Amino acid sequence: MSAANEMDILKNEIFPFLSPAVSKMFLRVDGKKLGKIEEIRMRCNQPLIIRDADHEYGLDPKTGITADINRSYCVTREDVMRTIAAISDNSLYAFEEDIRKGFITISGGHRVGLAGQVVMQDMHIKAIKEFSSVCIRVAREIRNCATSEIMNTIYSSSNKLKNTLLVSPPRCGKTTLLRDIARLLSSGSSRHKAQNVVIVDERSELAGCYLGIPQLDVGPRTDVLDSCAKAAGMIIAVRAMSPEVIITDELGRKEDVDAVQECINAGVSIISSIHAGTIEELQNRPIMRDLISSRAFKNIIILSRSRGPGSIDKIVRWD
Amino acid sequence: MAWFKMIGTALIISSMGAWGLSGARGIGKRTEELKELRFAIAFLEKEITYMHTPLTRAFERTARMCHQPVSALFTECANNLKAGKGLTAGEAWMQGIEHLHIRSNLKQTDLEILATAAHHLGMSDSSDQRKFLALMQEEIKVQEEKARQEQAANQKLWSYGGFIMGIVIVLLLI
Repeated sequence: MSAANEMDILKNEIFPFLSPAVSKMFLRVDGKKLGKIEEIRMRCNQPLIIRDADHEYGLDPKTGITADINRSYCVTREDVMRTIAAISDNSLYAFEEDIRKGFITISGGHRVGLAGQVVMQDMHIKAIKEFSSVCIRVAREIRNCATSEIMNTIYSSSNKLKNTLLVSPPRCGKTTLLRDIARLLSSGSSRHKAQNVVIVDERSELAGCYLGIPQLDVGPRTDVLDSCAKAAGMIIAVRAMSPEVIITDELGRKEDVDAVQECINAGVSIISSIHAGTIEELQNRPIMRDLISSRAFKNIIILSRSRGPGSIDKIVRWD
Repeated sequence: MAWFKMIGTALIISSMGAWGLSGARGIGKRTEELKELRFAIAFLEKEITYMHTPLTRAFERTARMCHQPVSALFTECANNLKAGKGLTAGEAWMQGIEHLHIRSNLKQTDLEILATAAHHLGMSDSSDQRKFLALMQEEIKVQEEKARQEQAANQKLWSYGGFIMGIVIVLLLI
């Protein structure tokens, strides 16, 4: 994606939602300097912080982007309130379910995380009020980040799909990679038949759905169960949508693993991801140890940031 | 000559009477507007709490459901929010009330009740929204009741008053 394109995304999909004071400052900054930002963080009475892949910056009201955070604009309570009002179209009641989960996905698939005073009821989060922080994560589609090396790993020699697990610490590109895999599988190619894909998107990150419609390109034969619990979603997908492959992010709980087993037994392939640095770390978690030793997954791809996000460290094959 | 006087007398009495009657109708308008406003708020409440319609659309739909001048409040709010100038719902609402103030017969106390919504509108969960919108309807109903009592007293005064004034003028002239 070109820098101009990236700037358009920020200008059209992110800046209009910031409080007018902050939005104006961003619009004065030279577009080239903003091209790669991944996160905008606003915390009450703290400096505004912008992050790209490796660095963090501040936003000086006079000089623009600065490496010195202390010179950055100090975010007011009003900035936070106005930003939240804008992203929710002044309608927090319409986003109750999202707020309970701690974030709102806006058009374009960008995710806005929220923090503040939490109202609890019966050990569950009922609502968040008196917001204190907003964290905007810019959704980035990186097309063709699923290289032929990865795709060749996923397809077996007989053109069947192999169950594949992506393993890495956070921010190594698992979600971006899964999205691109979904797109490529769903589009098909001259060598590989297109597949029916179901994405179970518990945190609205893979497809970036806004009002239920995917905002990011996940391919023409992809159905998305948005903000659906993974285990329940995988089961209903198998029953209702006749997928050839189910893609879901961040397995972790016992019921997720059970659902994976059930899908595999039903003849549906699974491509998923998990938080861990190495296979050893994974094996320290009992649930994951069982999953790996059951050989449900034929491929494990370990990612890192050694050569930027999405670098392949190692591919483990069990077949 | 007597005919001439008769016609003049009738003209004076009937025109003063008509003036009184139209004045009496004006008093009834505020009551009607309050009632319309209460229905509109009830509609907005349903849009917000049951349908979870985003506020801008909820305003638009409410505007379509009611008549002038009450609809002006909601149209103005929706337009303000759609303009994308970073206005909050509260600010848009206050501007809407200004708009309504110019166009309607509502009194300052009626508008103050509406203004209390500015801090809450949209910015809490739906059970909270329901509570304050229901409270507002109750308050408007009280105003409506008061307006109706005032209306009953004043309306009589105006509608008879016009004719009586007409007769007094005629007597003075004779």
